[in-house]
Amino acid sequence: VRCQLSPPQRPLQASAVLRVSDGQKEPWAASSQQQLDSHPADHHPEREPQGPRPSYTGQGGQESEDYESEEQLQHRILTAALEFVPEHGWTAEAIAEGAKTLGLSVAAAGMFHSDGSELILHFVSQCNTKLSELLEQEQKLVQLGEAEKKPTDQFLRDAVETRLRMLIPYIDKWPQALSILLLPHNIPNSLSLLTSMIDDIWHYAGDQSTDFNWYTRRAVLTGIYNTTELVMMQDSSPDFEDTWRFLENRVADAMNMGNTASQVQSTGEALVQGLMGAAVTVSKAETSRAAR
Amino acid sequence: AAAGLCPCRVLLARRGGALRALGGSVRGLAAGPETHFGFQTVTEAERREKIYQVFESVAEKYDIMNDSMTLGIHRVWKDILVHKMNPSPGTLLLDVAGGTGDIAFRFINYVRSVRERQLQQKLRHHQNLSWQEISESYQEDKSNSLGDSQVVVCDINREMLRVGKQKAQHLGYCEGLSWVLGNAEELPFDDDKFDVYTIAFGIRNVTRIDLALQEAYRVLKPGGRFLCLEFSHVSNPLLSRLYDLYSFQVIPVLGEVIAGDWKSYQYLVESIRRFPPQEELKAMIEDAGFVKVDYENLNLGIVAIHSGFKL
Repeated sequence: VRCQLSPPQRPLQASAVLRVSDGQKEPWAASSQQQLDSHPADHHPEREPQGPRPSYTGQGGQESEDYESEEQLQHRILTAALEFVPEHGWTAEAIAEGAKTLGLSVAAAGMFHSDGSELILHFVSQCNTKLSELLEQEQKLVQLGEAEKKPTDQFLRDAVETRLRMLIPYIDKWPQALSILLLPHNIPNSLSLLTSMIDDIWHYAGDQSTDFNWYTRRAVLTGIYNTTELVMMQDSSPDFEDTWRFLENRVADAMNMGNTASQVQSTGEALVQGLMGAAVTVSKAETSRAAR
Repeated sequence: AAAGLCPCRVLLARRGGALRALGGSVRGLAAGPETHFGFQTVTEAERREKIYQVFESVAEKYDIMNDSMTLGIHRVWKDILVHKMNPSPGTLLLDVAGGTGDIAFRFINYVRSVRERQLQQKLRHHQNLSWQEISESYQEDKSNSLGDSQVVVCDINREMLRVGKQKAQHLGYCEGLSWVLGNAEELPFDDDKFDVYTIAFGIRNVTRIDLALQEAYRVLKPGGRFLCLEFSHVSNPLLSRLYDLYSFQVIPVLGEVIAGDWKSYQYLVESIRRFPPQEELKAMIEDAGFVKVDYENLNLGIVAIHSGFKL
């Protein structure tokens, strides 16, 4: 017997299902796998695809131990799909294979966009999270006094290198991923992931600027990151040495640029002062000549 | 058209929460209760009988009528449905009310082309195999051009299935296809069997839609997808007027002229008006247990594709 406890307008299903004995098959209520009661508040009931579970009878409000939301299931599918990317690329096929390993039907890949965008965004956000964790651990070590605090340029170089190294297993298909991330409907997401990653790196590098420097620093680092990534795409040297050397040069340039900028500013100021002085001198000479 | 709609709809097709639950328990599986056949009121058993007769009589001319009524656009709708499905080789499809096999044939074509592309990609990666290995791989791939995909066409009407089988033979579809006689409200299949369940322009003719949806849920594997292509509600007022005009003035006439059957096409048009609109059908699908239910309007709502997942 299937009772509906909530009015059908609610998209959730808060229903209780009693176990039907295996011999019978009623045309409409039987199912060899049980349905879990849902928490009426927010999450949809999910089924674990492996094997039958004990049935839960009773009113809505009971949860089983490991129900998960749709989002969590989607994350699991995408994570499982990553191992098929080297073979199938960042496509719906990789997602379908991932779903298969979790025991779901290949049709579950239909939940995602057919160009593989969600898979790439999921991967990028996973990498960013990993990077943040590593940087935080490093910071803790420094605070505990077990490690030396790195100079800024070294820190930036290491952070960018660590992050780019996460791409190495997927490097063959990464150009495809980059192009998909540039599609108009993906740009908001990919841009926000990129900016938050750069922000993280600067935060752990100890940047506490509150003036325009905040923007320049992030813009510069974004430029360094993107160009290094592109260099890495067509780098064929052993262990990407050329890429890391390129990175080193760019970071050094950026540091110099800071010095150069202040030098230019002071030179400019000096120049302006000199010109002003010359102008004043000339005008005074004129007036004194006119007065004579 | 508008006059016939309101009163009957409120009584029968409209759900109000408690009313529906009550109605569900009262109806049971007996033939008694009232339902609609076009704009008439009949019992459920009568409705099933009448619909069977409708499709028995139109079976031969079904495809021609589809083309002339929709000016060929139904082909595009069905193509869009299969593209949305995006099946990969190895998918098991159940096409319910699939009578003359349109969706099944499109599915087979799609899977075949995907498979070919896959094989080509595989070959590109196998540049340094010996000649023997290459020729062996050709042979095994040739015998597996569908990649183990299969489609089961299920229909309640023998005539429609017969026409479908004839068409398949005529067009040369032999492998990966099976034809089963069955009722959408009580499918003759085991639980958790299919990857995708489609019902194109068929759910309108099912007498107990909720039962059909529950059966769909039952036979799908976890992760499986439910897809429904059906005529739906046009909200744009101008288009709605034109559409009504076309439906009630032109289509039955075409039916008489081409198929010699005015009444069946009158039924068709009326049944479209009786069918629940997009949001209501979405709620019914969610009630059956599907999640991530969504719909896509084609042609401003003349047709809608509803999709849901069993998770």
